[in-house]
Amino acid sequence: MTLNLSTPTLWVLLPLAAALIALAALNRRTFAILLTSITAFALSILARFFPESLVIAFGPLTVSFSESLGFLGREISLRYEILPFISMIYFVTSLWTLTSGIGKTPQTFPATSLAITALVTAALGVAPFLYAALLIETAVLVSIPMLSPLGQPPRPGVLRYLTLQTLAVPFILLAGWLLSGVEALPPESPLILQSALILGIGIALWLSIFPFHSWMPMVDEHSNPMVTSFLQFMIPAVVILFSLNFLNRYTFLRESPGLYQILQICGVIMIALGGGWTAFQKNLKRAFGFSCLTETGFSLLAIGLANEGGLIWLMILLPARALSYWLWGFILSLVEQHAGSADLEHLEGFARRYPILAIGLLLAQLSVAGMPLLAEFPTKITLLTTALRSGPALGAWGLIGTLGLFLFTLRLLMHMVRPETEGEPNPWRVNESFLEYIPVLAMVVILILTGLFPNAFLTNITQTLTAFSQLNPFN
Amino acid sequence: MQILSILAFVLIVITAMTILVFRDWRIVSGALVLQYLAAFVLVAQSWPIGVAVVKLIVGWMATAAISLTYFRKEDIPFVTETSSSFIFRGLMGLLIILVVFTAAPALKDNVFPGLNLLVLQGGLMLIGISLMQLGTTSDPFLTIVGLLSTLSGFEVIYAGLELSTLVTGLLAIVNLGLALVGVYFIVPRDERKGLESGEEDDQ
Repeated sequence: MTLNLSTPTLWVLLPLAAALIALAALNRRTFAILLTSITAFALSILARFFPESLVIAFGPLTVSFSESLGFLGREISLRYEILPFISMIYFVTSLWTLTSGIGKTPQTFPATSLAITALVTAALGVAPFLYAALLIETAVLVSIPMLSPLGQPPRPGVLRYLTLQTLAVPFILLAGWLLSGVEALPPESPLILQSALILGIGIALWLSIFPFHSWMPMVDEHSNPMVTSFLQFMIPAVVILFSLNFLNRYTFLRESPGLYQILQICGVIMIALGGGWTAFQKNLKRAFGFSCLTETGFSLLAIGLANEGGLIWLMILLPARALSYWLWGFILSLVEQHAGSADLEHLEGFARRYPILAIGLLLAQLSVAGMPLLAEFPTKITLLTTALRSGPALGAWGLIGTLGLFLFTLRLLMHMVRPETEGEPNPWRVNESFLEYIPVLAMVVILILTGLFPNAFLTNITQTLTAFSQLNPFN
Repeated sequence: MQILSILAFVLIVITAMTILVFRDWRIVSGALVLQYLAAFVLVAQSWPIGVAVVKLIVGWMATAAISLTYFRKEDIPFVTETSSSFIFRGLMGLLIILVVFTAAPALKDNVFPGLNLLVLQGGLMLIGISLMQLGTTSDPFLTIVGLLSTLSGFEVIYAGLELSTLVTGLLAIVNLGLALVGVYFIVPRDERKGLESGEEDDQ
């Protein structure tokens, strides 16, 4: 017996259905968490080990998958090549949803995060790819209830987030229309520059590139860190991959040396600004928001260094970043719960009361900063040295920006180990519960192992680049 | 048909300026309803009526959703503004109108040669004035109205460039989604309490 299905049914419709069920069972929190995390994890494993023939046999039953699903006259097509990336985003979604029961994560988080992952997966496969803009916007709209509690007026940061992400849609759709018309034009045509400019503004709005970044620390400061860390990984990661479509599709963009230089400069500016702002923050959650700017900078720098193998490093950076963000978000939500605030001044003596959380927090930050032996080190050091070869100023400013988070981590360390009251004994003791420190310790070990053996843990995802035939560095 | 387009364009200018200048939710809602009607007329220049009417229905549904939710609020703030703020926003709106009239012909010649000038001006007018609206308010209701107007302006222009059922469908979802987010933002506090007590009852 043969059953015909499609890959979008599996990785878009099925998780959307699971998310709806989880949303309907909002008051049964354990059920919602288990349903969403098991669904996401199963889809991740399936994507990781999916056969290239797209046929799976269960005894007498043969399930044959097609890569496309018709939708309103167009197609959503999830090709085999993109599955490593899908596997990664579903894996990290399962990680976030599974641990959402610890801390004060919003009840809607498991269902909403799975729905967001399904929507961005659809965005990766919709054809023409420009229409992905609308699916990503839908994911942004879905994320709003997690950021703003019901019945309370929304904070200015949330309104700004909604406004800037929505404004990106017209720019992207218009840029797509313009780019399809300028392909045949000579390179000196002013329309090419105008189209690229409109596209650039759209992507800058999406990725919160300076000066469109102001909502990030504002939203982070007042929202749950599990939610913000998930969103600030998932949406930029998909937007970055979506943006590669433009380079892959349009020759004049791909072959423009000026574009790569602009991307490198923008990337380094983001790294330097993000790092500078992070270093002087007084609130942990705001510092996380500014560090996300630095990470966006590294993504841009990696694309700018595409001709030197930057895309491979970009792909390797994404899972390492996801693990670090998860650990950072998870611990931040626990820190806020135990200390009552994420302000540095309220964390005096925190390490003496919660030493495992303190160590985990420091290591999460150091991993994002690119500390040797931790997950992001291999990519960060490669990108910075390649940037240094490309231009000494680029490398130097990139390094300075990276130091921002190191400096902030040192300030945090000093606050956390200082006794609450000077002169009084403040003994060290472990107050964390089992459910709090086990995930932290496990992730710390994974981050160290990933830093030590990046090839074993991170290289599979680079196969995603084979989906971009013109950019594929393996050709 | 040209007269209808001109009337629709004039209506867009008047309603967009009304939404920018006034802060009273009743005036803003009424203007938004008329604005969608005018936008529908301009979209119908490029699309079949059957498809264009989707935008009208979606727009009116979105307006109804956020306006009726606002209507149910018990603590509607009484809008007191100085005349200088009205004059400031009015002047900013006039500046946008001037910029659109100046820039639209060049944009049409260089970027959108196949587009009707009135349609382009109407779309740009909506985008420009609603962006000004977004820049001058932090009220959730007015922000959502500003975003709906911006998208409406974009849809007027995009309709002249491309006809796609998927884009129409997804833009309808985005518009309704924005309206739902607006409803979520302005839902009254007492309903939140009701929801919470309902949850407790379930448990």
